[in-house]
Amino acid sequence: MRRLLGAAALAATVIAGSMPAQAQDDTLVVGAAVFTDSLSPAAGGYITLSLVYQTWEPLVARDPDDKLVPALAERWEALSPTHWRFHLRRGVKWHDGTPFTAADVKFTIDYVTDPKTVYVRKGRIAGIAGTEIVDEHTVDIRTAKPAPLLLRGLADIAIEQKAVTEKLGQKEAHRRPVGTGPWKYQEWVAGDHYDLVANPDYWGGPPAMKKLRIRAISEGATRVASLIAGETHIIEEVPVDLLPSVERRRNLKVDATESSVSLVLTFDTRKPPFDDVRVRRAVDYAIDKKTLLQQMLGGYGSVLDGQLVTKATFGHNPKIAARPFDPAKAKALLAEAGHAGGFDNRINTLSGRYLSDVDIASAAAGMLSAVGIRTTVNVVEGGVWSQLDRNKEQGPMYQIGWFSVGDADFNTVWYTQASRRAYWNNAEFDRLWQEGRSTLDETKRLDTYHRMMEIMHEELPSIFLFGLPRISARQAGVEGWRPSRDSLLRLHKVRVR
Amino acid sequence: MRYVLRRLLLVPVPLLLVVAFVFVVLRLTGDPVAIYLGLDATPEQEELLRAEMHLDEPIPLQFAWFLADLLQGDFGTSIQFKTPAMAVVAERLEATLVLLGLGLGLAVGLGVLAGVACAVWKDRLPDFVLSILAVAGQSMPSFWLGILLIQFFALDLGWLPTSGRGGWDHLVLPTVTLATFLVPNFILVTRISVLETAREQFVTTARARGARGARTLWLHVLPNAINPVVSLVGLQLGRLMGGAVVTETIFAWPGVGRLMVSAIFQRDVPIVVASVFIVAVTIVVANLLVDLVQAAIDPRIRMR
Repeated sequence: MRRLLGAAALAATVIAGSMPAQAQDDTLVVGAAVFTDSLSPAAGGYITLSLVYQTWEPLVARDPDDKLVPALAERWEALSPTHWRFHLRRGVKWHDGTPFTAADVKFTIDYVTDPKTVYVRKGRIAGIAGTEIVDEHTVDIRTAKPAPLLLRGLADIAIEQKAVTEKLGQKEAHRRPVGTGPWKYQEWVAGDHYDLVANPDYWGGPPAMKKLRIRAISEGATRVASLIAGETHIIEEVPVDLLPSVERRRNLKVDATESSVSLVLTFDTRKPPFDDVRVRRAVDYAIDKKTLLQQMLGGYGSVLDGQLVTKATFGHNPKIAARPFDPAKAKALLAEAGHAGGFDNRINTLSGRYLSDVDIASAAAGMLSAVGIRTTVNVVEGGVWSQLDRNKEQGPMYQIGWFSVGDADFNTVWYTQASRRAYWNNAEFDRLWQEGRSTLDETKRLDTYHRMMEIMHEELPSIFLFGLPRISARQAGVEGWRPSRDSLLRLHKVRVR
Repeated sequence: MRYVLRRLLLVPVPLLLVVAFVFVVLRLTGDPVAIYLGLDATPEQEELLRAEMHLDEPIPLQFAWFLADLLQGDFGTSIQFKTPAMAVVAERLEATLVLLGLGLGLAVGLGVLAGVACAVWKDRLPDFVLSILAVAGQSMPSFWLGILLIQFFALDLGWLPTSGRGGWDHLVLPTVTLATFLVPNFILVTRISVLETAREQFVTTARARGARGARTLWLHVLPNAINPVVSLVGLQLGRLMGGAVVTETIFAWPGVGRLMVSAIFQRDVPIVVASVFIVAVTIVVANLLVDLVQAAIDPRIRMR
């Protein structure tokens, strides 16, 4: 049958005499792993921003390393702890030719913060109390309390054009973006591709390529195949098991960076045996994280330094290091805690949510079993997972990845009672977390997070495994590309030779 | 005509059953308010939505509201994208219908030809080889076959694109993948049906009157043997839809199947309801067509 079908396919090909569309010379083609059904900045998961920010821009942006850089605001200053002034970039034009002004900024911030507006990331700038236009190129933002996270929050809010939105209505304006960004909207086909053309008047200089196509290829093996076949120039998220087949090809290159996603194994510290910190430490000594990183993540990413946040995240404590792999010590600690005979244990995990998640959990379970903690892995469906989370019923251990997007405030929240999801309860930690988010003094904030990392290292509410990598691949002739820690596509300077 | 009317009157029944089933599953998999609002919702927001969604009323009444909304074409708003769920699904429908139509067409065409060949050369080499291939084709999981086809035709030979939607060449691999797991059924059913019909007395009579082999086959046997094959088309539609989910994922085909799977993962309930409903409508309508075609082919069905 396969020969027959093969012959049919062959015949069809020969008749039409067509060859598969190779990527065209002036078009950059990117194979995206996640492709949402919306171009709207108001809806869709975080990853929607990867499409949104091709055409739109925020006031303050993140660079590929999660550092804040000027975008539509050229510079900014805090006039008082609750009063910020933003000096807007001059000479910026919307894609329809009208000039970008302070009115657009005020319009966007006002509608995002309006309690009646449905805007998925409005919580990112929740502290804003009001905006004022100072002059055409200056905007003031006031916050209810000192808000050290305002700038990072603004990086997730795309500034939209007042005139276009008022003329077309929000829905229509979000369907065909008119932005200030490096690329202009051309065509959108749901679930298949997003076509854009270069904005020659972009304030940061015109993009290196004339056109851009972002293709939706959710299946990893297919994404890799599209790169090998030359249909795409860059692909996101190379599956770890396919890395060798990309690496051995001379015309392809792998690029990796460490994301700000920390993969951890969280304990239910309310119940025995993990209410005993000695048992939690035994688990930490029993897991050979370096070997796991090599085997399950292809050696990309990194082992966390015995703390929640990755090295590049604000709040990382350089004085703390990961506990070494030491099964003898693990067994000794278990015996000391009265578990010389070991015990039965279970790790809950999602499947396919994080890179190699089930493989990592299974290998860790094997290592725990080797020291007497007889561990099984329980793969949980997403809907059930969210119910377990909500009811705090994940069981003795569960594997999860926490995003920081560059600031420790963001993932430490999940260990405070404010998150309503934490099993661990530490009053000092909760207090420090509140302190860290209510002062603009960067040194003081850093000290706060350093102390929080110390507490976590000693108390071990979770085993801190890896800063997960983002592994992308490209044709060797592609220049100027690097994967971003925050997973957004930054393609303005990418060139194909 | 009365037969057609009777069949049309039966159309809403399976749709109503599907909708009822979806409703029950939705209520079983958790509090809709929690799914819609997420973890950070305030109690006031929850109360408001509960009233808006009629969740404070008895279950049968809730079902009535649910039905009333569906009848007005209101499948709710996508949780992720905040746009009407049916609009999101409708955008993807064409891609899926194209794939299903071609896959089914190829499967029926190849299956009937091969089945006839098996029957004609029963217990000889062609029958033997085709039957083995049929079993092999049925045993091959689509995701595996799809990846093999990509490897061979797109990568090794470079004849066809690996994935995505574009010109007709983008259709070849997904269509072949989808057809492959259906073809075996059509081969086997055609083979048996042709063999059984060939034993009927009217065939013997035709032969006795001097009709030659090929003529008997195409004019007398096949028209009488084809009805079980047409029934099979109706029966296979559900499986075909399941195959489309896998095929669309492997080949990055922008259809309803892939949308439905990602919506399930994202807990985007309105999209799931809308896509299940659209799939159910497609299958029910196709089955109606199958019945009508059968009635047209075989007058005995109309008389019943």
